[in-house]
Amino acid sequence: MVHRERSYACIHPETYKYFFHVDEVRRIWGVLQACYGPLHHTPGFGVIEIQSERFLFRAVGGGNPITVIRRRGCTDADVEALHRRIGFFERA
Amino acid sequence: MRERFALQYKADEHRRMIGGKETIIHCHHYNARLQHTIEHVTDVDGAKIIRDSAEAVFAEHVANVLEEGDDEATRLAAVGALYAHLGFGRLELSRAAEGVVTSDQSHYVEGWQAGFSETQRKACTFTEGYLQGALAAALGRPFSVREHKCMNAGDDRCEFTVDARHEPVLRNDKRPSDFHPKAADGHGEHGNIDEQAIIDALVQMPFMGSDEGLIPAFGVYLALTPADFYNLMCIQFVEQMRAKGLFRTAQRLLTFAGETCAMNTFRGIMASAEWDALIAPMIQHKEDALYGLMALSNGFGWGNWRVTEHRPAETLTIESLNGYEAIGHREYRGSCDDPQCFMLCGVSAGMMELVYGEGLLEDRFGTFLSEENQCICTDAPCCHFEVEPA
Repeated sequence: MVHRERSYACIHPETYKYFFHVDEVRRIWGVLQACYGPLHHTPGFGVIEIQSERFLFRAVGGGNPITVIRRRGCTDADVEALHRRIGFFERA
Repeated sequence: MRERFALQYKADEHRRMIGGKETIIHCHHYNARLQHTIEHVTDVDGAKIIRDSAEAVFAEHVANVLEEGDDEATRLAAVGALYAHLGFGRLELSRAAEGVVTSDQSHYVEGWQAGFSETQRKACTFTEGYLQGALAAALGRPFSVREHKCMNAGDDRCEFTVDARHEPVLRNDKRPSDFHPKAADGHGEHGNIDEQAIIDALVQMPFMGSDEGLIPAFGVYLALTPADFYNLMCIQFVEQMRAKGLFRTAQRLLTFAGETCAMNTFRGIMASAEWDALIAPMIQHKEDALYGLMALSNGFGWGNWRVTEHRPAETLTIESLNGYEAIGHREYRGSCDDPQCFMLCGVSAGMMELVYGEGLLEDRFGTFLSEENQCICTDAPCCHFEVEPA
């Protein structure tokens, strides 16, 4: 079960950390790479990230939680597509 | 081209040198806030102050990275490459000779969208000044650059017109400071924070613009801005305000920009993956977050400042051995009668409000007051800040 918590980053007000089941994280990063681009390891702080046109995906070495930062130009449709891909559904 | 911009880190001074210029790391929120502050005071021409400061500084900075034998195409490429490397965005310069430069990524637009999206105005005054200075250095003649389309105003890209002008390029006139910082004696409170580990990690981190010319890190967009730019801009703003009897207003405005920087930038940083990875595991008490932020700001090139006394949630005393504002003021104007470290003063209060405050950020502003009660600019051996509840 995926859940998310609000994260106060100032690139975009709608920034969340998504928490995945430990057995799912590796697969999720694979999905993200397939859809949004290659994974990069940033030296120094041990952060992994994917930079794409509409999203930044960032996490510490273990990969969980994944901080999803929306970029300028990111639309509701982009967010819905991401949620479908990672299996996140908003609770009513 | 990138090797011309290689970082030289001066560990003893906490200085980050790129292309012969000391660069300071700040985020899109602070940079846009500072511009907003200076441009929205109707008593002075803030846009001219920003444009002139950028022109003078980047004419020199770009000249530093050009090499003998560079042809015109290479020189123009350096203009775009330095801008991108420093994190200001992506410039398209292929039509510069026709008088048109465009940009589809912009650090400043990101800042205005984050803080002032309702304005819908042209936001790229800094880039106008950058291009005036950089193109003069690259092409050997002065230009006037004005933005006429801007992504912040809803256009699909920013577009600048470039015209020849008669007035000579502004010079970045300053003298080496005769001030010698006192040695860091190892004192200062660090709580459970390993400051050196944080600074080492920052030095390893490749702070440079991506393909888009932006530096997304710590949950914000960072840029590497020459200290000269901040100093020249703020000095001219304060001088022009003082001439109108508004010195205290200028002081309060610049201090508030620093306080806002601490609250917004540092909140983003504390929510970032970088913080989770290295700093959060060191934190055992609430005050450790404050020490962690101090360590980061030292690594960002702000200087070498440290806590000398701290009563959690109550008072904070900080000394700064070589803050860029104080050193810069001495280089441009020599010593003076009033403290000049407005950014550090505001950040001092903002850190207390962020770490110990509760509730919405808006409700925390002004709950702590900071004062710089001695400054290197007034010939004191170091700058000294005291923070207490309002």
